[in-house]
Amino acid sequence: MAHPDTGVRVDPGSFRDPGNRVFHRDGEVLRGLDERSARDWRALAGSGFFRTLLAAGKLCGTEEVAPTPPWSATLRHERIPFVSHPYEWSFGMLRDAALLHLEILRAALVDGFTTKDGSAYNLQWRGTAPVFIDIGSFQPYRDGEPWAGYRQFCQTLLYPLLLQAHLGVDFQPWLRARVDGLEPDQMRRFFGGARRLLPGVPTHVHLHGAMQQRNARATTSDVRAQLREAGYSRELAAATVRGIEKLVRRLDRRPGESHWSDYQRTCGYSAQDRHAKERFVEEAVAAAGAPAMALDLGANDGRYARIAARHARYVVAVEQDPAVVDALYRALRAEGERRILPLVMDLADPSPGGGWRGVERAGFAARTRADVVLALAVVHHLAIGRNVPLAEVVDQLAGLATPGATLVVEFVHPEDPMARRLLANKPDGLFPDYRREEFERLLAARCRITRRAELPSGTRTLYRAVVNG
Amino acid sequence: MHLAYLDAGSGSLIVQAVVGGVAGAAVAAKLYWRRLVARFRRQPTDQH
Ligand SMILES: C[S@@+](CC[C@H](N)C(=O)[O-])C[C@H]1O[C@@H](n2cnc3c(N)ncnc32)[C@H](O)[C@@H]1O
Repeated sequence: MAHPDTGVRVDPGSFRDPGNRVFHRDGEVLRGLDERSARDWRALAGSGFFRTLLAAGKLCGTEEVAPTPPWSATLRHERIPFVSHPYEWSFGMLRDAALLHLEILRAALVDGFTTKDGSAYNLQWRGTAPVFIDIGSFQPYRDGEPWAGYRQFCQTLLYPLLLQAHLGVDFQPWLRARVDGLEPDQMRRFFGGARRLLPGVPTHVHLHGAMQQRNARATTSDVRAQLREAGYSRELAAATVRGIEKLVRRLDRRPGESHWSDYQRTCGYSAQDRHAKERFVEEAVAAAGAPAMALDLGANDGRYARIAARHARYVVAVEQDPAVVDALYRALRAEGERRILPLVMDLADPSPGGGWRGVERAGFAARTRADVVLALAVVHHLAIGRNVPLAEVVDQLAGLATPGATLVVEFVHPEDPMARRLLANKPDGLFPDYRREEFERLLAARCRITRRAELPSGTRTLYRAVVNG
Repeated sequence: MHLAYLDAGSGSLIVQAVVGGVAGAAVAAKLYWRRLVARFRRQPTDQH
């Protein structure tokens, strides 16, 4: 990120809880705690569940360092290799993130702690392993209190899962549009008629919505007191969490097959083409000298992301099709691959900045500085499929990379059957610039082309290029 | 009393009792019963 590494930079996404705040200094991720939060932290650091979850890698690595004024205490956190947002995750990812949140809360309750909130933004990824990052969220459990984060959990985790599992509606656009997620009242409209009875819906959606309306004028401090007097207990809180956990486990419908699911079988590459392409990609990433981050654009089933991961420390695999990303996520998890992060995103409509002032949740471009960018068989989808001028496509590829980074691009000639199929959907002569010579000229204006190879089929060219400084 | 930074939502707190099985439902019932009783106790004085 383009910020001076001297001095302190307050994280724009960390202001909602005034008791603690994340900031950056000398490339480190730090968290300042006020007096009360510092007390909570010391209690937390001495608790068994915290140490167990930390050792298991389920919590973001955390240690106390010398305090930075004005804070009473300062923590240093492990750096998450690439920050992503819940609306960039697949269904399986959101579900696993939700399950981890609940597991952590359940373990915390046993040791007399709870979390102040329940947001999907409390979680991040190390490859395909979810990590709970909001260490400032833990506080001692107060007798007789239900979970303060339940509403947020519903809005940013449970409801999106219900939408997808019960109705087959992709949840990502809903989460992307609303930083606080879906409201119970919106959800009720989706689940009328017989759908009222689907698992989780009568209680977490309808009853929840009705209770909100009926208690709109009651303050939460009054209701907390009333619940305490009525005998609400930690055991009950734990039972509720177990109930939600059971529900989320049941919601495991896979997103259906989509157009791109079977790409590797239907893509029309010959075995020779594929071998040549694999070798070209592998050599390019290897020559980049242990890059910290490789970006695979239009990653599909992750074949090239996996090849990149042999040489890069971390790979972010971006793909527009949620079903394809979900399949990739499950496959990577099954393989035990922990250095590839699959994300759902349309390159023609990348994640914008969101939340307060549009910077609370950074947009994709603001988060991305790749050392290697792979754009294999994807440029034609943008240039022809989405009418993006070829020069803009090349600009974007270079823009996602650091100066000196390696670009590996496959240009599909207009004569190629796949390009012809896309062109057939558009009026003749709409893309006079979509030619190999023009692409090469544009690429050479922003990069130094260091290698070029024709695939044996003769209608595709691979380029390796170094982005100008 | 410490205040949570987040508005937990009054209805969202109560519904957690209701989804917490039989014991939870009992707590919710008790809460509503008390509210009801409190209302009736208040009413006669309201009329003066
Ligand atoms: C022809 S396949 C190439 C897959 C892989 N890169 C390879 O070379 O084998 C194109 C992939 O790019 C994805 N794609 C197309 N347009 C995209 C866009 N605008 N944003 C993200 N992915 C896109 C498709 O869903 C598909 O999985």
